[in-house]
Amino acid sequence: MKSQFASYLIAACAMLACAGASFDAKAQSEASALSDMSALPVASVVVAGSAVAGSVVAVPLVLSTAGAVLVVKTVESTARGTLYVLERASDGASASIEIVGRGLGGVSRVAGTSVVVSVVGAGVVLSAAGEAIAFIPNALGRALLHNERLTD
Amino acid sequence: MAPHKHFEALLLAAALGLGLGLGFFAPAAHAGRSCEARKPTTPSVERGLQLAEKTLASLNASGERVVLLARAGQDLTKYGLRYSHLGLAWRVPDAQGGSTWHVLHKLNTCGSAESAIYRQGLGEFFLDDPWRFEAAWLAPTPPVQAQLLELLQDTRRALRLHHKPYSLVSYAWGRTYQQSNQWAIETLAAAVERGVTSRAQAQAWLQFKGYEPAALRIGPLSRMGGRLGAANIAFDDHPNDKRFADRIETVTADSVLAWLQRAQLSAPGRSPTVVGL
Repeated sequence: MKSQFASYLIAACAMLACAGASFDAKAQSEASALSDMSALPVASVVVAGSAVAGSVVAVPLVLSTAGAVLVVKTVESTARGTLYVLERASDGASASIEIVGRGLGGVSRVAGTSVVVSVVGAGVVLSAAGEAIAFIPNALGRALLHNERLTD
Repeated sequence: MAPHKHFEALLLAAALGLGLGLGFFAPAAHAGRSCEARKPTTPSVERGLQLAEKTLASLNASGERVVLLARAGQDLTKYGLRYSHLGLAWRVPDAQGGSTWHVLHKLNTCGSAESAIYRQGLGEFFLDDPWRFEAAWLAPTPPVQAQLLELLQDTRRALRLHHKPYSLVSYAWGRTYQQSNQWAIETLAAAVERGVTSRAQAQAWLQFKGYEPAALRIGPLSRMGGRLGAANIAFDDHPNDKRFADRIETVTADSVLAWLQRAQLSAPGRSPTVVGL
């Protein structure tokens, strides 16, 4: 079971680079505003270890069970960003996710960190200590995501 | 309280006059300029995504092609306003042969007096930890939708009236700054009236069509507090007679939605569709 899940890679899509930009932007109109974008690192699921960002593949079971608690087993730098191996506390099933750029939730999660899985219609939200740190969209979630800055 | 939230609360107090002393605001506002990203909480992300999902379903079921989409980023009820921010949203094909929606809108660059135009999905649009998880959309008439769609599919035209200098409360008929809703309505003018190629022309057309900005009552101490406390709030573009009468006329989402109906640029008898959780 472990190897089955380990064969999945979740690669952060190019969205992250854009999401980073939106962290720095605040939607402001008239007397509104000062609310900053809280876009998350966005991950896409790929199979067989080849990172195909943007493809829509079923999220592995270990990452799609609401309330599941995973532990970060290893953290490894890759050419694109950071590779995290997550392991389910209850049975040792694991999955790997790769986040392009700054890493989960903009900070480096260290081995041993607990990550909680929550499931919404658009995909899976990973959280640590009540803070959302990554979003793994399903097909619907992917249809909701687009981030492009058009002017300098 | 996260730095941004802290900043947000204090600056709002400064800008909108909650009666606190001026000296209290500036340090917090300066701290806010570091623009440290606020950490998104799990519930806010979940609810933002749920609102995006419900809005997508509502828009896809509507049969419309282009709408004005509003969100409630801030509690402005004391000004009689329900929504704070507007974008131009249009239907685009998704990867599965269906359709999804993109939003073109203007965002203030963190902690600065500048802005940029973004094309975003509904997810990003609502992943903003808003004050209230509620959206409203209003479809223009089919001819206006067609004109908007033509502009939205032509990035050069869509960006033509973007003016980078930004003030949160920019004067509706001024050209010194341009806030987000002001960009949206001026761009709508350029879409509907092809001869409009400048902000001055857009504003003239809007006046001709009877658009009326909201008049926010913001007193002198609050104005000073806002100006000193934040890079993105200025009042120097407002005419003196109005400014010194504490009358700050600026483009609000609510006033735009009301005008679209009044000017019959949206279908007669149709009010905005509200999407909530």
